[in-house]
Amino acid sequence: MNLAWKGQEQVSARKDVVWAFINDPDSISQCLPDLLEAKMIDAHSFDATVSVAVGPVRGKFKFKVALEPQSDQSHMNLKISGGGLGSVVDLLAGADVTDNGDATTTLDWSGTASMRGPVATIGGRVLDAQAERVIGSTFANVKARLAGAG
Amino acid sequence: MPITPATPERHAIGLAMKRKEDPRFIQGRGRYLDDIVLPNMLFLALVHSPYPHARIVKIDKTDALAMPGVKAVITGEDLVAANLGWIPTFHGYDKQMVLAVGKAVFQYQEVAGVVATSREAAFDAAELVEVEYEPLEVIVDPFVAMKDATIIRDDRENKTNHIYHWEVGKRDETNAALAASDVHISGKMEFQRVHPAPLETCGIVADMNGGSGRLTLYLTSQAPHAHRTVVSLVTGIPEDKIHVISPDIGGGFGNKVPVYPGYVVATAASVILGSPVKWVENRTENLTTSGFARDYHMNVEIGATTAGKVTALKVTTVADHGAFDAAADPTKYPAGMFGIVTGSYDFPIAFTELDAYFTNKAPGGIAYRCSFRVTEASYAIERGMDMLAQRLGMDPAELRLKNFVKKEQFPYPSPLGFVYDSGDYHRTLEKALGKIGYGDLRREQAEKRKRGEYMGIGISTFTEVVGAGPSKLFDIMGIKMFDSAEIRIHPTGSGIVRTGTRHQGQGHETTWAQIVAEELGLDPQNILVEEGDTDTAPYGLGTYASRSTPVAGGAIALAARKIREKAKKIAAHVLEVSEDDIEWEDYKFKVSGVPGKSITMKEIAFAAYTNPAPDSEPGLEATFYYDPPNLTFPHGAYIAVVDVDAETGETKVRRFLAIDDCGVVINPMIVEGQIHGGLTEGFAIAFMQEIRFDASGNHLNTNFTEYLVPTSLETPAWETDNTVTPSPHHPLGAKGVGESPNVGSPAAFVNAVVDALSPLGITHIDMPLTRAKVWHAIQAAKA
Repeated sequence: MNLAWKGQEQVSARKDVVWAFINDPDSISQCLPDLLEAKMIDAHSFDATVSVAVGPVRGKFKFKVALEPQSDQSHMNLKISGGGLGSVVDLLAGADVTDNGDATTTLDWSGTASMRGPVATIGGRVLDAQAERVIGSTFANVKARLAGAG
Repeated sequence: MPITPATPERHAIGLAMKRKEDPRFIQGRGRYLDDIVLPNMLFLALVHSPYPHARIVKIDKTDALAMPGVKAVITGEDLVAANLGWIPTFHGYDKQMVLAVGKAVFQYQEVAGVVATSREAAFDAAELVEVEYEPLEVIVDPFVAMKDATIIRDDRENKTNHIYHWEVGKRDETNAALAASDVHISGKMEFQRVHPAPLETCGIVADMNGGSGRLTLYLTSQAPHAHRTVVSLVTGIPEDKIHVISPDIGGGFGNKVPVYPGYVVATAASVILGSPVKWVENRTENLTTSGFARDYHMNVEIGATTAGKVTALKVTTVADHGAFDAAADPTKYPAGMFGIVTGSYDFPIAFTELDAYFTNKAPGGIAYRCSFRVTEASYAIERGMDMLAQRLGMDPAELRLKNFVKKEQFPYPSPLGFVYDSGDYHRTLEKALGKIGYGDLRREQAEKRKRGEYMGIGISTFTEVVGAGPSKLFDIMGIKMFDSAEIRIHPTGSGIVRTGTRHQGQGHETTWAQIVAEELGLDPQNILVEEGDTDTAPYGLGTYASRSTPVAGGAIALAARKIREKAKKIAAHVLEVSEDDIEWEDYKFKVSGVPGKSITMKEIAFAAYTNPAPDSEPGLEATFYYDPPNLTFPHGAYIAVVDVDAETGETKVRRFLAIDDCGVVINPMIVEGQIHGGLTEGFAIAFMQEIRFDASGNHLNTNFTEYLVPTSLETPAWETDNTVTPSPHHPLGAKGVGESPNVGSPAAFVNAVVDALSPLGITHIDMPLTRAKVWHAIQAAKA
């Protein structure tokens, strides 16, 4: 099962602050919804354990998260892969980072996911909403944490 | 079905005796596999692949092994090292992985096993087995598989997804006859992938006793002896050291015929660890990994004259076998008994061919409540006949009556090679038409059509082929498909009968007692039936494919007749007359010409142990191995009346009448119960059930919220009756019945829905006929 979403966040912070934040695995890990535990691996990756509750699939999923910044600081990719309880989830989230010129920054994000195993049998709408929530809240949390950061 | 009272001629056969096994089931006192608890018993949980097709890069057992209570973690490579990595499939033409070796080839395939001191610990630790996969291209459609762009089974010598081609009949002559026919219909239809979904899932308790050197396998097995032999052949353990016990079984429907990876891993674990190991499938494991049924994509062509006389039949099939060729078919019949596809009709010529393919789906192709592939064949011909009737503008009942094999044509050699034993198709359909009030229903339908209402009448007049079978034709892995019975009569006139079959709800404990009672003049209440223990039962091939009564039932009757022969000697000895003066009449031995001088079997039983005849062994017992001379061919006429709501696509089965002819009926109440059960399963297949996959190979029906089982709320009220055309070769004239309703009913339901919607020009809708599918078909037809 393959799903796709997109959205936008206006962050009240300068682009260089936003860029530094989203390049930091520790900061990004704190933005993942329902995070139970994060273990930093290196400057661009970390392991995350999150709590999942989608229909009958309830428990802990373990993900490997990799940050893939584009060198011109205009785009960031976030690869999240892993799973649990016999299911596998591959999420790819990307955000265009645009300086609005007024000390605010726009994050135009998009995400795709492919799912396998029991999680894929859950009705499309339920799953769609849940996965969109995971990606959407991650960027919303980025916005919240950076609000007024400069 | 009317209950036949016992008559002087019918001491026990024909009696609607209550089932002897029911009190223990009703009171919750059956003993099923999961009720078995042994000292120091360990539990197995399996790790399944989330990928339908993926290379296995690495399996890390470390975290799982570190968990408290975990005794072992077993992978495919471990089993390969023990020479248990692969096992032969049912008919022996392919092999299948026990646990994934190198790569996983279907979603939920078993990848590793974790053995622990509790079920919970085993399941928790299974979560900790880390498997690294490298996903590969997935194929879930046999029409894509046939292009061979990705090879699923690269372990095989032939690098193709094509498994085999099978054909029977005359290709060129059939094509010529079709081309020369006045009318030629061609219809594509899919018999979707379904699953028997027995309420009790599959399981095992494997107990290797290091002291005795014996391996005891408590197994949810429809064929305990066959399983014992397979275990011996695969492991090299001598057969006397293997004891298979099949306890009470909560439904099988073919699902409990194959050997599953969990059985092998639990057995290997018990041998390695020296403790009993239990494995019981959960619902998801049962639906995703164990034997599915059908998945046949068929094209039916029928030629006919304008007057409606059929001239030729051709059926072409693409079969999806999943990732291993584990279809449950006798060795010489890779497409089972699909050759029955000419059905009840006198086709002068016919041809059928089939190509089977591997896909990234679970293996199977088991006979789900049908003799091997008979349901697919029956559906194809019964749908095809309705398509022909629709094309000709002829009443489907009239078309059938015009083309039935006539009763004087039996034994009837079909153009595809079977010799039908007996039948009276006209009588059965005419009885059904009269009983349901067919003429009135057609008039009602015409009235409703004028008002824009959609009411359909669907007929299915199927012929089955069951009771495999004659050993010259039928075997499984070389073992001939005879069956057996052993009867012992105790001194006080009660007795025990053991057979090589294993019931799963069919009522053998009652039916077999009735056969013995009938043949020997004893009380069926005092004949104990025991099945499922390979140490005590004579060798047999088990219960599936409606073979128990046709084969084991024959063995019981003939073993009982051997006892009667011996009893005659004892009667002569006790009555002090010559054996020539003794005759069997009214269920006792009488001295001819001497009224009142007689002896009952009960008295003879006592004499057999207290006053045996001088020239014969003491005791009163016999064993018979019955190799039937032919298959049996039950038939029936089913009529469904269905109302369709064109606004919502909702269907309502208003009436369903089943007239079955399974030859001589041993217990009419049990037969009626069998028909109710089979019709309910047929109804589920026609309207509710399908194992579906998305394009990525995700299995979408992993539990009972997605794979629906009908409850009493959905199930129609069944009307049943019968005709009796005895089998000429079966010792009792019986033919077998458990599967007829599942074989015959899907076509009746679909024919009724299509008949309702025929004013819209609809000629076919594939099952399951869900509201959405029917609604879409109506919208497409109206567009």
